[in-house]
Amino acid sequence: MNSGAPLRLLLGPQRPVVNLGIAMAECGIGDGPIAVISAAWQEAEGDIDDIRKLVSNELFDLPIYQRAYALFEADKPLHDAYRSRQDQLIDQQRLYRLRLRQLTIAARGILRADGNPDAIDEERRHAISQLRALDRHHLRQINKIYKRFEETFDRVRNSRLAEHIVEIEKQLERCETVLITGGNVVVLMNRLQLFGLSRVLSRKNIVGWSAGAMALCDRIVLFHDRMPQGRRDPEVMCNGLGLVPGTVLLPDARNRLRTSERVRSSLFSRRFAPASCLTLDNESLLLMQDGRVLNSELVRHIARDGKFARVKVT
Amino acid sequence: MTPTLKKLIQKNTLEASDIDAFVQDNEFPLVDGTDVTFVYRGAADSVNLRCWISGLDTAQPFQALPGTDLWATTIELPKGSRIEYKLEVTRQGKRKLILDPLNKVIAHDPFGANSVCQGFGYERPEWASHDPLSRLGALERKRIDSQAFGEPRDIQVYLPATFRKNRRYPLLIVHDGDDYLRYADLKIVLDNLTHRLEIPPMIVALTQSPDRLAEYAGNDKHAQFLAKDLLPLMSTEYPLIDSVDSRCVMGASFGGVATLHAAWRYPEHFGCLLLQSGSFAFSDLGRHKRGPVFDPVVRFMNEFREQPCRPADRVFMSCGVYESLIYENRSLVPHLQSKGVDLRFEEARDAHNWENWRDRLRIGLSWLMPGPAWLVYE
Repeated sequence: MNSGAPLRLLLGPQRPVVNLGIAMAECGIGDGPIAVISAAWQEAEGDIDDIRKLVSNELFDLPIYQRAYALFEADKPLHDAYRSRQDQLIDQQRLYRLRLRQLTIAARGILRADGNPDAIDEERRHAISQLRALDRHHLRQINKIYKRFEETFDRVRNSRLAEHIVEIEKQLERCETVLITGGNVVVLMNRLQLFGLSRVLSRKNIVGWSAGAMALCDRIVLFHDRMPQGRRDPEVMCNGLGLVPGTVLLPDARNRLRTSERVRSSLFSRRFAPASCLTLDNESLLLMQDGRVLNSELVRHIARDGKFARVKVT
Repeated sequence: MTPTLKKLIQKNTLEASDIDAFVQDNEFPLVDGTDVTFVYRGAADSVNLRCWISGLDTAQPFQALPGTDLWATTIELPKGSRIEYKLEVTRQGKRKLILDPLNKVIAHDPFGANSVCQGFGYERPEWASHDPLSRLGALERKRIDSQAFGEPRDIQVYLPATFRKNRRYPLLIVHDGDDYLRYADLKIVLDNLTHRLEIPPMIVALTQSPDRLAEYAGNDKHAQFLAKDLLPLMSTEYPLIDSVDSRCVMGASFGGVATLHAAWRYPEHFGCLLLQSGSFAFSDLGRHKRGPVFDPVVRFMNEFREQPCRPADRVFMSCGVYESLIYENRSLVPHLQSKGVDLRFEEARDAHNWENWRDRLRIGLSWLMPGPAWLVYE
């Protein structure tokens, strides 16, 4: 199975049922060493003994969270610029959220409205296109912020950063497969981007669960309908690694989304189309290669009408 | 009167077996929308519903149903209400306060227990019950040699299930900590909310005063205890985030007063306050009528209201609309807001009791110290 393009094995949360070991054993990833990126666990990064019990391959830790920490300790200008970038990103997200809220309320209202079908259809398309335009605009603004940071701290010209990247890439030469754990997706993306790992990871088989799977998408979409303070509209946060193009992955959708609310789900699907919005619940599994679905268990996609349907092997 | 009870008494002949079946087949009190009918069965001279809540008479008389040993009374209870009550049964001239024998739902507090009426639309929050998936935090005991009180004080410390010495945690200080654990299921709530990422993993210092009415009533020694004894000890012995924003104090009733007072006496020490049904008694003119135990509270609150300060950046207040303190709590809101406090105030259809405070913990704690649920996909 593992010939040609690298594999992408995407899983849901590993609680309460763990399916990582079985999924990896069955997907044809091979028995070579595997690098584990657990930066999403932050200070608990590297605590991978539980994973060792599940996987027979040799596992080695790739501590990019701690590397970033060490780098910031050693390079104050870089750290200051990074902090400043993070502040700008937070502010940009705040401004985006202000506009997003109004557009989402309007779009949901239009999706619920009755009346002349032709007129309503036109308004629906327009309302959704406004949302999509805002998402695109937001991503452009986010990318500008990243670009300004990278122009200041070029990965090649900054010797400390370049040294870390060389060391990481050297470690990655040992393996054909990288495992990326779930956890804090923002922290994970920040570290992956800081060390510019997109290119080197694109050539590896990747096993990712939850946040680790989300990181592979074109865009990182944050979502949670059951926050104690009330629902929050899905937000585009930044570009992902783009290694599973055309998908928006939704870990633990059963618990995080109000899946029975058809209008909400329909808007989710139509807003992010043509990408497929795919749920990754506990025990689910999605194996992809070169854009094709090789195996799918308990994965559902949100259809345009807001219904959830099983994803089939293509 | 509810249709269920009407149907029973409309029968031509009412046998004891009919009443047995009625009692067997129904849950009490009978809730029919906003009408709630309390029922008592037994020989008595009189029966009263006793619930110490603002807005209802403290004693609501039951009517005997002719030809039966059934007694009943109906009250109107707005949607989402929850009240605690006892029955006052007088027999042969002897008065007794008892739990409702027909109602299994009971709430405990430091004074004993009450029966609970869960009105139409009220549901016990599922996050306040044990969740087998939640990882359990641990409690440990600590002794503090208190300079403020000149004697040692024992506290309990809650550590989250994922506690690691090399991580840093926010601190929550809880007044009446043992009572919060016992009567408001605080440990279960902390375990569940942490597991659901609705609050960050946090270290919780649970204090319990041997004389709360004196020490919590705007007492400088108590404020000193929190700021100068407890806080340094916690910072030394536990890995805390060294930031005012990450320090929260909470308390209910007199514990709410102690919380506000400590933050007022020691500004810049605590970033967030959770004040539940605070006993914020004050007097605009003349003497207050709440009894001598409130004298120091009123002195403090009058001073605070005269010159309000910004005791913390964020304050979450809650109060039951069936408690007399709702007036004082509502009155405090504009004073805090005028000083730029980021404040949220929630009212509940409940009274001055531990389960009211339990039911508000999720929104209060997660608003003051939001967890990483939005960003974490485990």
